Amino acid sequence: MAKRTTTRSVQPKPAHRHGKGRCVAILKKLSAYIDDELPGTLCDELRKHLGACPNCEEFVASLRQTVALCQHQPAPALSQAERARMRNDILRAARPH
Amino acid sequence: MKTPAPAKKPAPVSHNEARTAASFDMLYRDHVDQMYRFATRLCGEPEAAKDLVQETFLNAYRGYQTFRGDAQVSTWLYAIAARACSRMRRKRKGAPDRELSLEEFIPTSEGEFRLQIPVDGLSPEEALQNKELRQALDRAIAKLPKKYRMVLVLRDMEGLSAKEVGSIVGLNERAVKSRLHRARLFVRRELSAQGIATSKPSHNGHPFMQGGR
Repeated sequence: MAKRTTTRSVQPKPAHRHGKGRCVAILKKLSAYIDDELPGTLCDELRKHLGACPNCEEFVASLRQTVALCQHQPAPALSQAERARMRNDILRAARPH
Repeated sequence: MKTPAPAKKPAPVSHNEARTAASFDMLYRDHVDQMYRFATRLCGEPEAAKDLVQETFLNAYRGYQTFRGDAQVSTWLYAIAARACSRMRRKRKGAPDRELSLEEFIPTSEGEFRLQIPVDGLSPEEALQNKELRQALDRAIAKLPKKYRMVLVLRDMEGLSAKEVGSIVGLNERAVKSRLHRARLFVRRELSAQGIATSKPSHNGHPFMQGGR
């Protein structure tokens, strides 16, 4: 809250106007932001920026979608036969002879 | 205390061994699916994943006495699998493990800010019914340099906490988060670059697919 808002008056219309240095600074924090791990003031600051910068907002949304997809990506399962075969192989290898 | 075991039989089983075998069976039964899922995500192909699972449980069997129960059994197994995986990879000598820098993930054109894939308005489960999307995601994850893949798989796919991931890969939480973040940005960029079409086009096309702003 105490932080000054220097980015506010910059964008009257959708555009990606801030410099690369600022981009990296924002980019760095995005996972912490979507994981809800940013301290309050930083979070407010970032949210304010996102509200003013549609491109960055889209970027965050796409990162969030990416994480959600990873979290829900289905994985193949072993068949009963494979499970049993592997167990036997492991036990055979584990016993000396 | 030992029962005299006839030496000629193929597998003389002592009391201790029998106990180990019984606990192993339980360990295997309860965790083999989890380890296979993990291995598939790390290795990509099913055959390599099966090798990794076997190696993991073999090492677990041999090291069972050393497991002191101060970590969760699954965390202990993940750690064994992670070590086995890097050993097996080293033998196969894949691509070098390059570092990912944040700068490379800054979009350079308007179209790169969003994912060019059909996910808008869909739950992740619904979106992932699209086979093409599932394959694209697998490809993106497979392209990750391995140390980043390990962290992404453990954290975002297996659902472990950053602290648990850190104990498995030998990093502090901060380093885990930094690696995870780069891995996510990488996968995001790969997905965005692949541009998947909708599998079942809805009336006049998906709003997501209409390009620029």
